[in-house]
Amino acid sequence: MQTLEIVFQPMALEQKTFSVGSTIRVTVSFKYVVGVNATVQLMAGPYYSNIFGKHLVSPCVGKADVQLTAASTPADKTAAVDFILVPKANGGIENGTYGLRVWVEGTQALADTDNVLVVTGNPGGATDVFSAMMPMMMMLMMMGMVMPMMQSASGGGGEET
Amino acid sequence: MEVKTLALDLGGFRVLQGGGNLPVLAAGWYVDLATGARVYFDPKTMNFYTLAGGVYIPLSYMNPAPKQVAVAPGDKLKISLSFSYSGPAITGAVIRYCIGVYGTFGFTENMVWENTKNLALATTPTPYTDEYTFTIPSSIGADWNDIYCKIYGGSPSVPQTLFGYENALTIAGLTPNITSFTIKDFAKV
Repeated sequence: MQTLEIVFQPMALEQKTFSVGSTIRVTVSFKYVVGVNATVQLMAGPYYSNIFGKHLVSPCVGKADVQLTAASTPADKTAAVDFILVPKANGGIENGTYGLRVWVEGTQALADTDNVLVVTGNPGGATDVFSAMMPMMMMLMMMGMVMPMMQSASGGGGEET
Repeated sequence: MEVKTLALDLGGFRVLQGGGNLPVLAAGWYVDLATGARVYFDPKTMNFYTLAGGVYIPLSYMNPAPKQVAVAPGDKLKISLSFSYSGPAITGAVIRYCIGVYGTFGFTENMVWENTKNLALATTPTPYTDEYTFTIPSSIGADWNDIYCKIYGGSPSVPQTLFGYENALTIAGLTPNITSFTIKDFAKV
């Protein structure tokens, strides 16, 4: 008789939308061994990616203490940590799509998933409009300064000849 | 506290002064039945070599561990040893047990114990066993996961014979060792 082995892989995390100010609870599972009872800090927070790598949004990082009882053979553990999506107005997160990172301080345990947090709810006020228009205004101002200098330089040369 | 056991087999060896009845191999290439690797035997040095980059390198005495034993501070780890011996009677051969770190510059012996053993005159390979039980200290390092044993010395002296296992131990030390770390879910609360 032949047998077929089927391995169930964990499902990929689905993208979810949250408003700023929300508290998000992240649940993780892991195996551990440790010689003595220990307490570790479980951390979680959103991150964004650019050409320089992944960057945590530090004001939104949350942490929780997790108790580990001594185990010399790998023991299963599930733990949870909460973090708050601090609004941008309070120095927090902007609207957009972010990854989710969870890790245990002082160990190599780390898990992250790209583009699973969609953050909304930051007001698009006058400040945002101004900051969006700032580069264009700077360019116009520079052109305004340079153009008269070029005109005077070309005009002066003409008078001498 | 549970006693955990790790077994090593030194194989056969004979005394330097001759008189042993183990066959002396001729110089040449052989195949290691355990790994399938081709090895060269030099009867002058009584050692096996492997060829890498055009250079003959003595075969390492360290081997991949056949199993891993998880230990924590306070646990007892019994290392049992077996070997065969033929040759004249030996008084006070030393059997050395070591736990430590095997790296580029050799084996750093962090925990050591030595037993002495007398070996009787034997014309055919005679099996022997020996063992020692370590108590794992709280100061154990997370990388003290290698083990080796050797037999040497005595009168007349036996040739130094070494055998060891790399990554034989999973250390449950003071710092947690976490694996299979995955995000199961996230949701608004």
